[in-house]
Amino acid sequence: MINDKNSQKIVDFIQNWARKHSIWVLAYGTGCGAIEIPPTMTSRYDAERLGVRGAATPRQADVLLITGYLTTKTLKRVIRVYEQMQDPKYVIGFGSCTINGGMYYDSYNTIKVLDKYLPVDVYINGCMPRPEAVLSGFAKLQELIAQGKANGAQKYKDNLDWYRENQKKIIPNWVMPEYNW
Amino acid sequence: MDSIWFKLLGVVVSFIVAFTVGMTYMGLSRKITARVQNRKGPPFYQNFIDAMKLGSKTSAIHHGVMQHFGPAFLMVSSVMSLMIIPVLNNGMWFSNLNFHGDLIFLLYIMVFGPLGMALGAGQTGNPNSAIGVTRGLSQMVGFEIPWVMALVALMIQYHTTSIVDLMNIQVESGTWLIFSSPFAFIAAVLAMLGMFRYSPFDIVGAPTELASGPMSENGGKYLFTMMSSASVFAFAKLTLYVDLFLGGASNLIELLIKTFVIYMIPVLYGVVSPRYRTEQSIRYFWGWPTFFGLLAILYAVFF
Amino acid sequence: METIFLIFILFLGGAIVTWMAGKLGNIVQDILFLATILVPSYLFYTNVATGYAIDFNVGGIELSWGINAFGWLFSLIVLGLGAFAAFYAVSFMKGKERRGAFYLNFILSIMAMLGILMSQDLISFFIFWEIMTWSSYIMVVYNGNDVQRIGIKYFVFSAIGAYAMLMAIVLIKSMTGSFMIESLISSYTSFSYDMQILIPVLLLTGFGVKAAIMPLHVWAPGAYSNAPMAYTSIFSGSLSKMGIYGMVIVFTTMLSYVPEGVWFRGVVAWLGGFTAVFGTLWAIKQDDAKKLLAYSSVAQLGYIIVGVAIGTPLAMMAGLFLAVMHAIFKGTLFMVVGAIERQTGTSNFTEVTGLIRKMPWTFVAALMSIIALAGIPPLGGFVGKWMLYESLITSDHYLLVIVIFFSSTAAFLYCYKFLFGFFLGQEEEEWAHVKEAPALMVVPMVILAGLTFLLGTYPGIILKPIANGMQTLGYGMTQGQLWDTSIILNEWGNQVVLQPILYAILGIFVFFVIFVTIKGYKNTRYVTTKDISSSGEVPLAHENLTFSQGFFQPFLRAVEPAMRRQIDKYYTAIANGLESLFDFTRRIYTGNGQTYAIFVIVFVVILLIFKNSIFG
Repeated sequence: MINDKNSQKIVDFIQNWARKHSIWVLAYGTGCGAIEIPPTMTSRYDAERLGVRGAATPRQADVLLITGYLTTKTLKRVIRVYEQMQDPKYVIGFGSCTINGGMYYDSYNTIKVLDKYLPVDVYINGCMPRPEAVLSGFAKLQELIAQGKANGAQKYKDNLDWYRENQKKIIPNWVMPEYNW
Repeated sequence: MDSIWFKLLGVVVSFIVAFTVGMTYMGLSRKITARVQNRKGPPFYQNFIDAMKLGSKTSAIHHGVMQHFGPAFLMVSSVMSLMIIPVLNNGMWFSNLNFHGDLIFLLYIMVFGPLGMALGAGQTGNPNSAIGVTRGLSQMVGFEIPWVMALVALMIQYHTTSIVDLMNIQVESGTWLIFSSPFAFIAAVLAMLGMFRYSPFDIVGAPTELASGPMSENGGKYLFTMMSSASVFAFAKLTLYVDLFLGGASNLIELLIKTFVIYMIPVLYGVVSPRYRTEQSIRYFWGWPTFFGLLAILYAVFF
Repeated sequence: METIFLIFILFLGGAIVTWMAGKLGNIVQDILFLATILVPSYLFYTNVATGYAIDFNVGGIELSWGINAFGWLFSLIVLGLGAFAAFYAVSFMKGKERRGAFYLNFILSIMAMLGILMSQDLISFFIFWEIMTWSSYIMVVYNGNDVQRIGIKYFVFSAIGAYAMLMAIVLIKSMTGSFMIESLISSYTSFSYDMQILIPVLLLTGFGVKAAIMPLHVWAPGAYSNAPMAYTSIFSGSLSKMGIYGMVIVFTTMLSYVPEGVWFRGVVAWLGGFTAVFGTLWAIKQDDAKKLLAYSSVAQLGYIIVGVAIGTPLAMMAGLFLAVMHAIFKGTLFMVVGAIERQTGTSNFTEVTGLIRKMPWTFVAALMSIIALAGIPPLGGFVGKWMLYESLITSDHYLLVIVIFFSSTAAFLYCYKFLFGFFLGQEEEEWAHVKEAPALMVVPMVILAGLTFLLGTYPGIILKPIANGMQTLGYGMTQGQLWDTSIILNEWGNQVVLQPILYAILGIFVFFVIFVTIKGYKNTRYVTTKDISSSGEVPLAHENLTFSQGFFQPFLRAVEPAMRRQIDKYYTAIANGLESLFDFTRRIYTGNGQTYAIFVIVFVVILLIFKNSIFG
């Protein structure tokens, strides 16, 4: 009964519905984009009505929000935080800098394409993206979760070697615990 | 009627009622906070969704056996309090262990969980957890004083330490204890502000300061269990206040109205308050609340 | 031969033989030591009936040794805890120096305590009391640390207590013509008013020193923490209870005959309350586990004194139950500290962390004793705490109950500090080598911790001897009214039924443990304590992030005004004042003949000057 495909579908549907409407965000304030988070959360745009809420630690969070450019120094911490999050987990790349480097396209100490190091589920374009754009990004993520397509964590697990290789290129002294699932 | 299965059924039913009501109240408090801050706010059932999501997290980590057991300790405390506190005053329903414990027992079983949880938080090795625990314990020493003073005042006024007896006294005399011992009520309500840990007393799990303190290493199923425990515990505490001061309730609707009124006190006090520092919080409880507690005892002795 | 004599001969002879037996090899010495503790204990429980006493005559002084039900209750503390501590001590002392002296004094302490309980006359009571003081004094200075400060302090306060007691005994002898305790009690009401006040004051001072009541407690923290831990477990567990034993007798016999007894009870109860509060506050401040437990002992004895001094049946029962419980859990806790100190070499919270996975059984023992200490149901401490509160509320001590409640809530703070400091927190490379303590140390601890569980569920086991003892002290029947096998009641008839509560707690706990365990079992994994969410940083192996410095700083800041004054400082001031006085005296009595000649001349000159005005 439990293993029945249809009942599994129902369970999946309910779980995805819950995940979709309860998104706890770990806003990693890496770049200048962090300043767009407070207006998104407070009275004017009020992301909490969508179930989006700040989480205090990676253990409790569902979504890692990379707000802006990532310096090579910060990348290590971001990877660490991502690996400490519990499944299912998603990554939102915020702003142009996470897509192609944005205005830092030729900088020596920022990474250009976030997707090479962490599996990004949703990108929010713009420099800066306004809170409306952030909300639409969350809406897109919700859509993906509901369809069961937001499986970046699975992608990360499957292609861990490739991600590690890219990460180690940037981070020379690699001292991190193993990521073992 | 007295069979063990019936008792177990009673426990399960009270648990489900407490869980549902507690979760709804917490959701409502989020909604109310949002309205006060001129936001739309999440739907009132948002906490159920959150709990469901946490329950459906597929992975979890623990730092050792104490952290693994921590939520279970919390649950013992919540469910035991729920079983000791009479939910309705006709004694027929939900009379789980009402006659097997009294107020002093209740006071001690209520700290069982937080202490067990504190051990779990300690084992994570996260400094934030330990700091949160020390804050929580310190604050507990603060608010327990006026709270115990209020309870002692009630006990000596009515010569009983049993919650059921205190409820029956109110039913028989037709007067609620909020009117016959008002100072005790004031002291107890001020102590409740600390017990519920809303602002300005949310120093334990301050998210921006301590990264949610004792629970900072708990996710998924652990957080789910803690959340359910917190909602059951909130319901148990509110029911206790209704039982002690508002004459209990004869049916669930009455209980819901009364508990909601009581619950609004810490919530509404909280939404407009910033956060205290730990020693400020302790000293707050040793100020006016303790003064009212003393008044309550004097009132009980001389009137 | 009389069994009572045989017991003491065995103790004394065994003590000396054990002391000498060091040359025969360690194992022989250990076995002799254990035999010297266990054989007389066995004889005591099998062959000495309660209520039996022998009278004999030494040098014209009537002496009487025997045991009543009340003394029998305390003999459980002395010999029961003594036996466990003895097994522990054998392992604890392995490889240490001066084992002979340790064993000798250990046995002498046990013997002296049993002697105190069996003495029916004041002379042998005093002699045994002094043997107890001396043997414990030698144990306090056994390590040789800080003898000047701690040893002298303990010595001076013991001397004050002993002389107060001796004065009382002499006064009693001069008034009643007998050294018998019974004749003192029976003729107490015929004393003059002054003596009715003075004798209890003197006796209570003597007992109060051992029971570490404020303001006579200042020796306790140093002495408890300086003695070897195997001894401290009986030092704090049993030896301090001798003070309680004496106090109970003073309160229930003499002071209950005279109207002034109410004042004594009130004053001593409040002193006990303050002892509890300040002991707790100072315990919170300590960073050394031994010091913490020592202050905690002082505080816990405060509770016991409150119960004993209030003296209603429930309060007395609470006090005595807490005395038994305190012996069990504090004995265990000192053993835990001893085990940790032996395995790691330090007992400082700021140095040792994360031992839970290395010393799991020690942790279990510590956890259970701490829960019992904190008074959390369903373990034994709760029963005592409950009875104490209820007795204070039902006997109209409303403010005292608040004071006691404050103290026991604040006790959670140091309870947590103890467990967290040693066992929780980050695991460090420095302590990776630590192993569990030897079985001979772990087993007594775990058994004693298990006892707290047993007594929490079936307090009737120990409440029965307590009720029997109280009946010999003149209390009425309490079984059925205030307690039953697993029910405790207060004087208003409200009850706590422990058994269903225990089942409920265990049931709920097991249910939710199973829930969190089986839910997603495969995807739940253990991570090390270095794998924590600390802003994405990975703490290196040598980096210790455990929060152990300035623990409870905010709380201490909040109660800082209460801790600004320390009674110890006043004593030090008095001591310094006396020292300068003696110094001044020494300047007069220089020992030089010339100076004395000057004094004589000066004296004569003064006489001559004032001759006219004095002699006219």
